[in-house]
Order: sequence, then C-alpha cells, then structure tokens
Amino acid sequence: MASDDEINILVIVIDVNPIWWGQQAQREPQFTLSTCLDSLMVLANAHLVMSRTNKLAVIANLYQNSHFLYPSKQWKLGDEISTSSDGKYELLSVTNDLFAEEIKNLMDRTEVSGSQTESLLAVSLAKALCYIHRVSKDVQAGQDVKSRILVIKAAEDSTLQYMNFMNVIFAAQKKNILIDACVLDADSGLLQQACDITGGLYLRIPQKIALTQYLLWVFLPDADQRSQLLLPPPVHVDYRAACFCHRNLIEIGYVCSVCLSIFCNFSPICTTCETAFKMPLPQMAKTKKKKVKTAI
Amino acid sequence: MDEEPERAKRWEGGYERTWEVLKEDESGSLRATVEDILFQAKRKRVFESHGQVRLGMMRHLFVIIDSSRSMEDQDLKPNRLTSTLKLMEYFVEEYFDQNPISQVGIITTKNKRAEKLTDLAGNPKKHIAALKKTVDSTCVGEPSLYNSLNLAMQTLKHMPAHTSKEILVVFSSLTTCDPANIYELIKTLNGLKIRVSVIGLSAEVRVCTILTRETGGSYNVILDESHFKELLMLHVKPPPASSSSECSLIRMGFPQHVIASMSDQDAKPSFSMSHLDSAGEPGLTLGGYYCPQCRAKYTELPVECKVCGLTLVSAPHLARSFHHLFPLEAFQETPLEEYEGESINLCLFRFCEACQGELKDKSVFTCLACKKVFCVECDLFIHDILHCCSGCMQTDRTS
Repeated sequence: MASDDEINILVIVIDVNPIWWGQQAQREPQFTLSTCLDSLMVLANAHLVMSRTNKLAVIANLYQNSHFLYPSKQWKLGDEISTSSDGKYELLSVTNDLFAEEIKNLMDRTEVSGSQTESLLAVSLAKALCYIHRVSKDVQAGQDVKSRILVIKAAEDSTLQYMNFMNVIFAAQKKNILIDACVLDADSGLLQQACDITGGLYLRIPQKIALTQYLLWVFLPDADQRSQLLLPPPVHVDYRAACFCHRNLIEIGYVCSVCLSIFCNFSPICTTCETAFKMPLPQMAKTKKKKVKTAI
Repeated sequence: MDEEPERAKRWEGGYERTWEVLKEDESGSLRATVEDILFQAKRKRVFESHGQVRLGMMRHLFVIIDSSRSMEDQDLKPNRLTSTLKLMEYFVEEYFDQNPISQVGIITTKNKRAEKLTDLAGNPKKHIAALKKTVDSTCVGEPSLYNSLNLAMQTLKHMPAHTSKEILVVFSSLTTCDPANIYELIKTLNGLKIRVSVIGLSAEVRVCTILTRETGGSYNVILDESHFKELLMLHVKPPPASSSSECSLIRMGFPQHVIASMSDQDAKPSFSMSHLDSAGEPGLTLGGYYCPQCRAKYTELPVECKVCGLTLVSAPHLARSFHHLFPLEAFQETPLEEYEGESINLCLFRFCEACQGELKDKSVFTCLACKKVFCVECDLFIHDILHCCSGCMQTDRTS
C-alpha cells in the first residue's frame, strides 16, 4: 500500500505542562508523564515502521514556549549515535534515545511557576506548519506529500491565543494539513473547531491508562485509510461567537463594519476601533394636516 | 476632466540597457547572477502594509467579463476567453478565502448588450459552475461598457452604505458601443461611490483611464498570463475604505449547526431554504443551520436569510478577516554573515526559528518585535499564509 511516491509526515505536539502532569501523578499514579511518553514512542515507532518514506517530528509545548524534541538541533552537528545492541531497527533506537534525552534536558532546565496552568498551543502548531512547509519543499519532484499534526492535550485552553490559533487553523486548511486532537482531560473548544475545519479527528479519551490503544487504533492510520475504518463520530462544534463586552455566547449580535468586533447590544461607539456609528433615527409619524373649515 | 498631467508613456523615456543586469564572474559563469535574480523573484511582492488605514471588509464586487470578438484572439493560450475564465475560477476561490463575508456577481457583455451571468451571492460554487459553463459560449460582436456598467449599477445602488461597492472590468476590445454618454454614467457612479477598476488585455484605452481615475480604481494592462494572474490577485485583498463609506453596526446571526440523527424522536427531515430557487434535486436533510430569528433552515453559511433578511455567518468567517485588520509587520532582511547565531556546546548554531532548518540563504530575516531569525521560505510562508510570528507568540501574553 505504501509506495515510494508518497511521503507521510506526522508531527506530534505534546503538552508537557508540569503543573497539570504533577497533579495528574497525584490523582492517578499509574498514568504519569513517563507512561504517556512511552505511549508516544510506541506511536512514533509504529509510524516510522509503516513505510520507509514516513517522516516524524515531535514538539513539546511548555506554557507558551515550544521545543522540538525530534529532530533536534544538536543531533545535526554532533553525531554521536549509539548503535543499538539488541538488533532493533537503528532508526527507531536513535529516535527513542534522542527523544528521551531531549525531554530530560527540557525538564531539567524548566522553572515551574504556579500561575501557568494553561497551555498555549498556537506556537507549537505554527512551528509545526513551518516545519512541514520546509520538508515539503525538499522532496523530489513527483512525490506526494501528505501531512498531519496530532495534538495531545493535557491542560486547559487559554483564551489569550484565539486569533493566532484561528490563523494557524486557516493556514493548515489551506495547505491541506489535518489536525487531529487527543484530549486527556477537559474538552477544548478551540481544538474542536480546528479538527472540524481541517477535517481531522477529535477524541476525548475516556480512560487515560489505555492511551496506547487509542493512539494506535485511532490516530495511527493516515487520512486515506480512515475512510475504511469506523472511527469515533464527529462532535458537535459550537460555532457561536462570543461578544466582546461580556464574553457570552450569542446567537444574534451586532458586528462593527470596520473592525469586525461583535457586540450583544447596540452601542453608539465601537470600543475596539472607536468609530462612532450612525444611529438609526426613530421614524417620525407624519401628522395629517387638518383642513380648517371656514364657516361660509 | 483633463486637468491631470498625463504620465509619460514608456516609449517616450530613454531606452534601458537590460543586458547590463547580467554579470559574469571570473570563470565566465552566470550562476551567481541567476541565483540572485531567483532570490529577488521570491521576494518580489508589493509590501503595502496599510497599517492604520481602514479597510472595506464587506465587499460587493461585480466582475464584468468582455465576451466580444476580440476574446477569441489566441495570444493567451488557448484563447483569451478560456484563459480568463480559468483565472476567474481561481480568483473567485481566493476572493472568498480572504473575504468570507463578501459577495461577487458576474456579468458578461457581447453583441452590444450586457447579461448577468450570476447574481451577487456569497457562495463560490454557483459562480464556479456558471464560469465552467461559459467556456462553450461564442464570442461575437462588440462589447458595451455603458450597458454593463449600468447593469451592475442597478444592483449596487441598493446596497447599504457601509459596504464597499466595486466593479472589476476585464476589457479586451479596443472599442465600445454605448447608447448614451458614458461620461454621465461616470458621474453617476461617482455619486454612488462605486469604485471601478479595469484590467485591459489589449492596450490602454482612454475612456477606461478616465473611468478608473474618476472613480478611484486602478487600470492595468497585462503583459502575459502570469502578469494577468498577478493583477487579478491584487484585487483579492480588501481595498482601503473610502472616507465616505459609513461605518455602522450590522446585525448578524450566528446559527448553531444542528446534527440530528435518525434515532432522535424530534428529528424531522425538512427542506433547506437555499434550495428554493435551485433546480437541483430537493434534498430533505435532518441537520442544518437554523436562523435564530425565524428558524428557517440553511445548509451552508454565510447566507442572507430569505425569510427575515438577517445575515447569517459563523465566527470563523469573521476570524478569517482578522489578519487584514492586524497585519504582520515585514521582517528585516540582513545578510547571513552578520548573524552570529546561538552557541551551544561551543558550536555555532544558525537555525531558523520556525522550521528548525539550517540557514543557508544569502540573507536572513529578523522579526523586529521579538528579534528571532527566520529563513526566506519561512518568511514567505509566514507573511502569505500564516500571518502570525511564532517568536512573538512566545513572548507576549495577549493574542
């Protein structure tokens, strides 16, 4: 099924918010960050083994920062690849070793601060898109590139990144890149919209311990093979807009024609762009002129 | 009307020595110059960042396509009409991608008459289907600029004042057959604040120059097919709003998408209002978008409710236009040698911030806000498609 003409790129974005994972380790000791990373490595290895031409990248997202775990920059310059001693396919052992080393380095040098409980995924997604763009340009002529991004989300959404996130989603849709989401804890409206708009798959995992199973069964097959599988049904996405004044979801609103900000009530001035609007004047009823009858 | 000084025509200026651009190096090879030219071609884009200028977001655009005898000319392959229609399909798609809440209508003109091909609508599929059918039509007679502009004006004059009313004419003939004085029509167009732009396929025609100058549009004549595409794409971006367009609060509805399944007790299949005038098969569907004001059903957004007149959109449609309002600043170009890179483990690293690729091009691009460095491919990608800088997102806390 896999021919040399098709290259599948899978970019995994993993949310490593230390606060959420720390609380998670206390809630459920069987499922910690290391078990999650083990499951990820299984998925990564499986993807690389599916075809010789498959490519992989892994990005870790820490609050607002993102860091490429694989392929890493140090690998390019200092080639100290340990040859595997147990006969495993060398690419897999190299991948696993590098991955483990990078995540250890990342965790060592991170300082945890109590206020950062939310994760801003837009940065990692933007970098993933640029990476895919670069790799697509480097292929030989005649080769097809199909790419997707798998997001594994732990902590909650942050509303600060709405605009950047939407820009990333539209860019992915334009380049035909699917965004899949595997959500561990709370539902994320932004990721639901992303999966709906780009055509990817959104799944909220009922049992976290079985993460490996879900990853291999649901997220490993690529887009062509998904039509032959019976996958979780699409979720109902709430596309209602939130008004800028109260952040309530509204069904009918007023949109400023200049800056496109949404309000729930009519107001004479737009708070975002400060333009004064024309007020609709109330209709004046015409009074009929009564003809005064003159007495003859 | 002729007060403006005429621009000097190209044949009136001195001749340029275009062969002097190519320079050979010591071994006689032109490779360095060719690479330079390719690099410049990649970067060639008119970077008019409007900054604080107000843009016309809701646009009503009429495209007038000349279908007269001159369109059968084969200087564009296979003939001008086919080439134009193919580019128009691409234009319609890009237009709705960049301006999701705008509308487009198409008018053709031939045989001294003008005919509406499609009415103003917000759905690209109808326009593309109509354009595909027109490929078989014959090009005959003379075009009529007056009739086509009049036809477009009849619809545009009823549009609300806060929208941007535009007409784009693809004009290939050198003559036009008008029943009345076109200068009067130009005055009327000016009064209605309609902006007319022309893309000429043959040569510069004086009446088009005056038309575009008076109404504030642009007039260009194509050199070849790729230039034609570039000129069309210039019209995809929203133009700066004229000072006279009013700003108002537009009432819009944000319907929910209801997916009802067969097992629901209350689910009843119903017709969608958008199928009222279409001759296609009437589809009974279970789910759809219900107008929040009158509960009429529609299958796709954006649409204007036929029953109550409310414009229905979804939040991502408005979000698509945000990058026009908050455009990304251009990056600063510096030569590669000046960039030192980071040093990790005593090795010098020069990597692009976004794609992690090694920086090999002649120059690197720095974002002025966050000071991160990008390669030329990422710079193009970020400014054309992505519209957000990954470096800035890491440093600031607000979206």
